[in-house]
Amino acid sequence: MIHESLLRYRGARYSWWALGVCIASSLLYATQGGRQEPGGGTWQGYVLGTAGALLIVWLALLGVRKRRYSSGAGSVQGWTSAHVWLGLALLLVATLHCAGRFGWNVHTLAYVLMCAVIISGIFGVYVYLSTPRQLSANSNGLARAALFAELFDLDRKGRELAGKCDPAVNTAVKSSIERTMIGGGVTAQLLGLDRSLFMRADPQAGGAGGAIVVANADQQAVIDDVARRVPRAAKRTEAANLQALIVLLCRRQAVLRRIRRDIRLHAWLRLWLYIHVPITIALILALIVHIVTTFMYW
Amino acid sequence: MDVLLRQVRQGADGGIEYQDTELAAESLSVGSAADCTIQLLGEGVAPRHATIRGAGAQLSISCFRGCKVAINGTLVTASALKVGDLAEIGGNRLRLVEPPAGFEAAIEIEANAQVDASAYEQAFRTTLDETWLSKRMAAWVLAALVLLLGFLVPLVSIAPQRAGHAPPSMLPSDHFWSAGPLIPAHELAAGQHCSSCHQQLFVHVQDTACHECHKSIADHVQAARLAQTKLGPKLRCAECHREHKATVSGLVVRDDALCTDCHARSDTRFGSLKVKPVTGFTREAHPAFTVSLLKPAAKPDAAGLIDWLPVREPITSAREQSNLKFSHGQHLDPAHVTRTSDGGALGCADCHTPDADGEHFVPITMQRSCGSCHELTFDPDAPERVLPHGRPRDAILLIQDYFARKAVDPTPVKPAVQRRRLPDEPVIEEVSCSGPAFPCAMKRAQAEVENQFKTRGCASCHNVNDTHAADLPDRFQILPVRLTRDYFPDVHFSHKLHSVQKDKSGDTACLSCHAVKQSKSSADVFIPDLPKCLDCHSDRLTVDRVTLQCSSCHSYHPTTIIARTRETEVQ
Repeated sequence: MIHESLLRYRGARYSWWALGVCIASSLLYATQGGRQEPGGGTWQGYVLGTAGALLIVWLALLGVRKRRYSSGAGSVQGWTSAHVWLGLALLLVATLHCAGRFGWNVHTLAYVLMCAVIISGIFGVYVYLSTPRQLSANSNGLARAALFAELFDLDRKGRELAGKCDPAVNTAVKSSIERTMIGGGVTAQLLGLDRSLFMRADPQAGGAGGAIVVANADQQAVIDDVARRVPRAAKRTEAANLQALIVLLCRRQAVLRRIRRDIRLHAWLRLWLYIHVPITIALILALIVHIVTTFMYW
Repeated sequence: MDVLLRQVRQGADGGIEYQDTELAAESLSVGSAADCTIQLLGEGVAPRHATIRGAGAQLSISCFRGCKVAINGTLVTASALKVGDLAEIGGNRLRLVEPPAGFEAAIEIEANAQVDASAYEQAFRTTLDETWLSKRMAAWVLAALVLLLGFLVPLVSIAPQRAGHAPPSMLPSDHFWSAGPLIPAHELAAGQHCSSCHQQLFVHVQDTACHECHKSIADHVQAARLAQTKLGPKLRCAECHREHKATVSGLVVRDDALCTDCHARSDTRFGSLKVKPVTGFTREAHPAFTVSLLKPAAKPDAAGLIDWLPVREPITSAREQSNLKFSHGQHLDPAHVTRTSDGGALGCADCHTPDADGEHFVPITMQRSCGSCHELTFDPDAPERVLPHGRPRDAILLIQDYFARKAVDPTPVKPAVQRRRLPDEPVIEEVSCSGPAFPCAMKRAQAEVENQFKTRGCASCHNVNDTHAADLPDRFQILPVRLTRDYFPDVHFSHKLHSVQKDKSGDTACLSCHAVKQSKSSADVFIPDLPKCLDCHSDRLTVDRVTLQCSSCHSYHPTTIIARTRETEVQ
């Protein structure tokens, strides 16, 4: 699996780098003491702080490297693997730098932002490792466009078939096609919410076209509505049309489920980036403020 | 508004099909989203593209931001609509037609027949990028907040604060840059004003800021002495005293490195200063103790007075010069001395009263420590007559007065009880004198004065200088008693903490360190040396020893008195 090699890239080479960084930082931390308590103000603290700041800048450069397709500075895969491992090591480097002292100040703000970036990154690694398998299992390897093409085709056939049925069925099926909701807002995408609607013939609404709009989650309501009409079909052809329509609607239901799941999985696959990237930018700003203010008041 | 929507499309058989929908709504939404009242697909159709509103029969269309609609061939963002107008969005045509009876408006919708699956997909928001979530916007907002609240607002607040104006409490000030809380005393004194200590931006906190409050603090080494070493310039206060750690223990360095960083290499780095190297607290790592004793200066000062100065001597060869005749051994031997109250043997605490600081003892004085046993009577016939202590001239005058009165008093009072003479007390024969009463009285007085100042009385405890002056009141000088109150004035040691040791307490604890029972002379020094301390202490964590650090006994900053003494020594 290509995504597994994110962590195991070249025999998990960068995990050893990260381990080396952790051990070196810990040893450096342990040499503190004497006249000064461990902290950011000792020379070891300055070294750890500088290493941490350089790590943050390098880790953030992954965003730049990913956009330079022709870069010769190593593969994106290698960079990403190193990004993950060294990003984890950064947590220790920064904690040793501050010697675990926190407060309501801009320095701890930088630390908290860094933790938020790392934690969102850990979540990102988790979804990168777990989601692709679910995605390919869901779509049988089909791209989302292919699923939409299939849906579009089913919609066209459905409209044609519905046109041959009585007006109530026609309205129901056509409205169910028109009022099918896919995706939507953040929660709808993440939770796979289905707010689809359709217009069910309602005698009480009056008139030939009398209908009310009702919920049609998972297209089940429209399928049930059409199915209820099969026993009441006056002609054999009508019954056959309705049967064919039910088959079509069920195929449509299956495709829609896949599309919705595909959207949901992709949303989760990307969600962490909406935290990881903006907070990284905020972190870099906070880091600069941390460094500048440290030397302003030192 | 009652609206008739008529969908017009080509049927499978080539004919035109209509599908009517009746609506009663204030407004109609137009767009590719499935929940739009009029759903249109095709390239260029936004999920929410436009809204058609009606007031009576008058309709108008207005587009959402970034969208446009072609009204009769002209691209606009908003327009009024009248019957016959054609609105085109992404190849879809909406035509306003004459409304049938019962409707206020009617719209014929002719969907774009060329729509393909990709346009269909575009009708939905299927990625998070199409929602309100935005990495770029969030990054801008967060970065701006950090920069503004974390840096710019505090930065701008510095100047008004330094001018004495309090910053608005709602906004972050330069306190937000504080690396941690100050110790309570500093928080109280300067906590509200970073500039009290951080007087210049990008410059280390200078000692002048510390000295504004800590005026009397003395340097560890005088500048003149430091100049003799190879240690370089003096450390800034803040190099050791690291603030913003909330605790005093964080502010004061206790680690041995505070001392050993320099003192371990004193032989090579102290230049002409002769200080023995110290690397720890063992026989090898720490020099033997020296005690500070008061000694008279070799020469009198300008006023002709002999000054007493502290002199350091190794314990092994140290001799007191207190001008007091005293034997600890004798006083602690019940065969020689017993308490007047209960007849028991004297204990340490009978004379030595611990001071409130737990380190020192209340000074020994005649009145407090000796007077209960050593009376200052001089005539067994008049035990109520007592010589004034500390005023030899008055004492001589008192003796003369006494004998003058005794010579002329017609009714001498005999004591009711004759005091028994102590066995070792010499028998004083009364001077025989014949002649006028006053010369005889003065002769007897002189004999008693010489007796007091040369044989017994004052001379039992004091060293007396006989000047042989003709005038008796000026003849004898009691040499001043100088008892050492603190043998280690620049070291702290708690007698209180050492009053109970392992299995010892009381006098046993005192005597375990101060072996005074064998002492015959007041010149003996009973201060224990390093090995005695090492019986119970170690500089490392071990099972059977109490760990000591340099700072357990030594202070970095000398007390004011010690600092002055050192200055005198430098001069």
